[in-house]
Amino acid sequence: MIRRRPSTDPLRPGRLLRLRGAVDRIFTGLASGSILLIALALVVVLAPMLWRGATAVLFRGTVEFRLMQMQKFGRGNRADLAVELVQVAEVRQPVYGMLDRFSRGIATDDLEEEARRLYREFGKQLDRRDTPAQERTELRSLAKHLRDDFTEAVESTDKAAAREALGRVLRHADDPRLKGTVAEGFFRMARDYGHIVDTVDLSRRAEYAKALGEVRDAIRALFGPRPGEPRPPLVMDQYGATRWDMAERQLARLLTAEKWVEVQPGQPLQRIEVPREQQFAGTDLVPLFPFVRERAVEMLDPRLTFYWQYFIDDSLSGHYFGGVGPEILGTLLITVLAILFALPLGVVSAAYLVECAGDGRVVRLIRTCINTLAGVPSIVFGLFGLAFFVIFLLPKFGFPQGASILAGALTLGLLVLPIIIRASEEAIRSVPPTYKEAALALGASRLRCFVTVTLPAALPGILTGVILSVSRAAGETAPILFTAAVAIGSTAWPPWSAVTKPTCTLAYSSYHIAVGDRLAALVPHNQYGMVMTLILLVLILNIAAILVRSRVAKRLRGQ
Amino acid sequence: MAQAAGTVEARPRGAAAAFDRPLLLTPRENLAGYLGSHLGRAALFLVTATSVVAVLLIFVFIIREAVAFFVNPAALPPLDWTSTGSAFAWARAALSFIVARLAELLAGTQWYPEAASPEFGALAILVGSLYVTGGALLIAVPVGLLGAVCLSDILPFGARQAVKPVVEILAAIPSVAYGFFAVLVLAPWMQEHLHLSTGTNALNAAIILAVMAIPTIVSVSEDSLTAAGRELREASYACGATRAETMVQVVIPAAHSGIIAAVILGMMRAIGETMVVWMASGNAAQIPSPWWDLTQSVRTMTATIAGEMGETVQGSDHYRALFAIGLLLLAFTFVLNLITEHFLHRVRRAGGTSP
Amino acid sequence: MEARRIAVVAGLVAGATLAAWAAFAVASEASKQTLQIEGSTTVGPIAEAFAEAFMKANPNVQITVKMTGSGDGAAALIDGRCQIATMSRFMKPAEYQKAVEKNVTPCPHAVAMDGVCAVVHPSNPLKAITRVQLRDIYAGKITNWKDLGGPDMPIVVISRDTSSGTYEVFAEKVMGKDKMSEKVEYVNSNPQAHARIKTTAGAIGYVGLGFLDASVKALTVDGVAPSRKTIATGVYPISRPLFFFTNGYPELGSTLHSLCTFFLTEKGQEIIEAKGFVPLTNY
Repeated sequence: MIRRRPSTDPLRPGRLLRLRGAVDRIFTGLASGSILLIALALVVVLAPMLWRGATAVLFRGTVEFRLMQMQKFGRGNRADLAVELVQVAEVRQPVYGMLDRFSRGIATDDLEEEARRLYREFGKQLDRRDTPAQERTELRSLAKHLRDDFTEAVESTDKAAAREALGRVLRHADDPRLKGTVAEGFFRMARDYGHIVDTVDLSRRAEYAKALGEVRDAIRALFGPRPGEPRPPLVMDQYGATRWDMAERQLARLLTAEKWVEVQPGQPLQRIEVPREQQFAGTDLVPLFPFVRERAVEMLDPRLTFYWQYFIDDSLSGHYFGGVGPEILGTLLITVLAILFALPLGVVSAAYLVECAGDGRVVRLIRTCINTLAGVPSIVFGLFGLAFFVIFLLPKFGFPQGASILAGALTLGLLVLPIIIRASEEAIRSVPPTYKEAALALGASRLRCFVTVTLPAALPGILTGVILSVSRAAGETAPILFTAAVAIGSTAWPPWSAVTKPTCTLAYSSYHIAVGDRLAALVPHNQYGMVMTLILLVLILNIAAILVRSRVAKRLRGQ
Repeated sequence: MAQAAGTVEARPRGAAAAFDRPLLLTPRENLAGYLGSHLGRAALFLVTATSVVAVLLIFVFIIREAVAFFVNPAALPPLDWTSTGSAFAWARAALSFIVARLAELLAGTQWYPEAASPEFGALAILVGSLYVTGGALLIAVPVGLLGAVCLSDILPFGARQAVKPVVEILAAIPSVAYGFFAVLVLAPWMQEHLHLSTGTNALNAAIILAVMAIPTIVSVSEDSLTAAGRELREASYACGATRAETMVQVVIPAAHSGIIAAVILGMMRAIGETMVVWMASGNAAQIPSPWWDLTQSVRTMTATIAGEMGETVQGSDHYRALFAIGLLLLAFTFVLNLITEHFLHRVRRAGGTSP
Repeated sequence: MEARRIAVVAGLVAGATLAAWAAFAVASEASKQTLQIEGSTTVGPIAEAFAEAFMKANPNVQITVKMTGSGDGAAALIDGRCQIATMSRFMKPAEYQKAVEKNVTPCPHAVAMDGVCAVVHPSNPLKAITRVQLRDIYAGKITNWKDLGGPDMPIVVISRDTSSGTYEVFAEKVMGKDKMSEKVEYVNSNPQAHARIKTTAGAIGYVGLGFLDASVKALTVDGVAPSRKTIATGVYPISRPLFFFTNGYPELGSTLHSLCTFFLTEKGQEIIEAKGFVPLTNY
């Protein structure tokens, strides 16, 4: 007979028991792990958006930002700003000087255009001076030669040929007939250009022109339009880099050029970074770059800025500058209106379902319909809202046909109705029947009993429903896509005139700025800022309603 | 003082007068009250019926446009009521047209609504919805169920109070924010670290939808697990079972209706979600070629409607095809709703508390 | 009793506010003039910039801009929901028919020109492409860059969604009768396309002229590089005009007229150029 040898310690659990214990521990581990995973998901989703969105409000703002605030919103100390602007202009001046000197030799189109203009001006000047005809033709033809020689010098890529052509121009520099006339411009340009010929590698002029264009763009993006230039039409071009992080990006673009070079034939190109000093080596533009690198902070004067007005400002130039004030207002209006529509309907429906309805077939149908309404996808609500409220219903009441807050609020109200009904039903059902019985025993009618006893006791639960529906309504985009939302257009004030007009809301604008026009990628802080505002709004509404609920519950418990 | 039965007492004065009336008045005696109460109930009923009216309107509106997609009077032979032969021919032609359209919509894979000869094969789109929802459930159901188990049985009271808000906040985050995260954070991460050719694909959408569905699954499952009752658990423990065995073999089977309802509610949330899939799933109307490859772009029904509705001509075939897809979506969620209700009904009947 | 009285008073106040609400809503309609612009996501930014400049010059005009798609803009114009429909394609015959049914006469104003540029990731050594090759790529016949002389990488094909005007132009001028392959990925807008191509090494796509910058590389199509000059003269093969549609020609001197002819002013042309499109006139 084979007997199993017992383990030495009678209290030590057997193998099977240990296995079961291990399984139990693994199971507990998995379950706790999934809770941790859920919490991790929350952090991973919220953290980047809140973090990057915070840079929309707290950032290092430059003098351009303060200028923009002063000119567009009238904020800030005018005297201080003026002093700052003068200081900054002083530091920037050499940059423009260096740029001009170099570009005069590179921008051949400008030079040729200038030469042609000088020739025309000279001709007009001769007419005005009333010179005798023969002298006029002589001088005219001389000016023409000057112009053609100069153009030839500018267009040639051979230094010797260019120098020779310039020499031909400068030979007439001392001609007394041309003194005091516009034609002296030819000589000035020829001298400048001679300097360029000496320092610049003419064969690479086209390359220089392209790189110069990039440098110019970067400088314009950093410092805004030059003093003296006409004001650009778009607001976003009227100011330089308003934030230090934007400025740093532009500085990187200014100081290094990006090139894609072929390493092996048939393989993807590799990206290399060429410092601009190298790109412009040998020219007199080289000192520009270390100058800007060292004195960039002086040129822009960044300071830590707390731009809390982000939440109340209008947005400029399609969200490039400014804040999300109209969006917040629009979201609040549409949400409040939606709740105003849904709450009475929902509470009354819940009251009926709990108090008066039996379990008959009709009531089961009503419940099924409420559940169906809860399950309809939000885009279908949007379509329904467009066709029914916007096109069909509202024009019947005399409102102009078109998207409006009213239509959007009605659609959202329909969306949140099931949530309110469910929560109210729960709340009313959970009121202890002793309350109701006591009231009835004292002789109250059913209506009075409901209104004065059951409803106040159910208020915390109903408020829970309001919380859930408010955060749902504020965050929905699809229903308002076709019924209420616009991309630009500030919300009208006072509120009663706003309801017949469409508005921009946080949810829709967040979607629009993520997939909208090209500005989206240039202002990531605004993108994240808007989503952060939406999340904060929803969270604040939630917390406010939870506080109210707990206070009401406490008061009721105390009664 | 004892009164003789049948004698009428003198009318009491003052406050006691209020108790003189009999407790139950006939309608004739209290017409106002009777009318008030019944009219009031009727009014309440009408108000409650607005939700029915709303659902009916939605269905009517969608069906009206979708039906126009399946029925095209121009393609049918002329109808002559008088002759049965022509009536039958008409009916047969109409039926075959409807069937052909339905077959094309449900089984065709070519979705080219704006081409010169438009094709409306929505199978790839349906499959796309399926992939994204299936992937989401694959992730959300285990995590959600285990999370609910943890919440109901493992965590102490204090920890539970701390974890519940986390789940509620996850439910409250707007879908646009999730879409943002999917496109701007998750897609580049996937492209970089998983070396995929495209970061907006079915996997991306599935992960985000799972995160959105988890709160629903957790809260409804937790309610039904709690509703299973302490006695059941105590009995199991008394028999010597470990916690894992209790949960897996006793409690979860007892709460299975509620859990199935939770899963279906999560599924409905995932199917009906528009913004996230529109931004994050890549929108390629294809069935991924190794069928298990979730890292390819797919397109869902909701994204098709949202993306294409803006530019179609109202009343065109394309417009109606989109409504037909909307009808499919609506019908699907309606059926899921009915199933959920059935299970919740069973829970209510068995357990007592409604989830 | 107290609570009840308060409730009654609150109810009366709420009712009065709601009544005043309705009255004011109707009354204040007359004070400000409003214009609604709806339509394409490509032309929308132009309308947005115009609206901003216009509202700054005329403070008593309120303009709202909605961008959901060219077809939606056409439908809104026909239904009378907007005064200007921005469209990146011409109206289709079906839309004209519907307009005629509703007594609406759409009148087009071409405000700018746009070119659809084929772009790839900057690391792609390819510089030029022909329309035939482009068509084959989108139809799924060419699937690897090495077939075009590039590296051995699968081509990730990006397209705009089938209902966008940009897609229409591309389909009309490049695809012709061919259909796009199923593997093509669809994005909802120009910036999304730009972002996908910027971050995906093997991608090819098409965007409007205003979206060309240093982070994507534009290919020359049939030997012509997309630029202001080549699009304005029509040399670039895939170019198209952008439209504002109104119901009939707007009355001379009205706000609508000024807005529709804003593109002819110098400021309007500057705005169009600044937004990256090609102005119609050389000012």
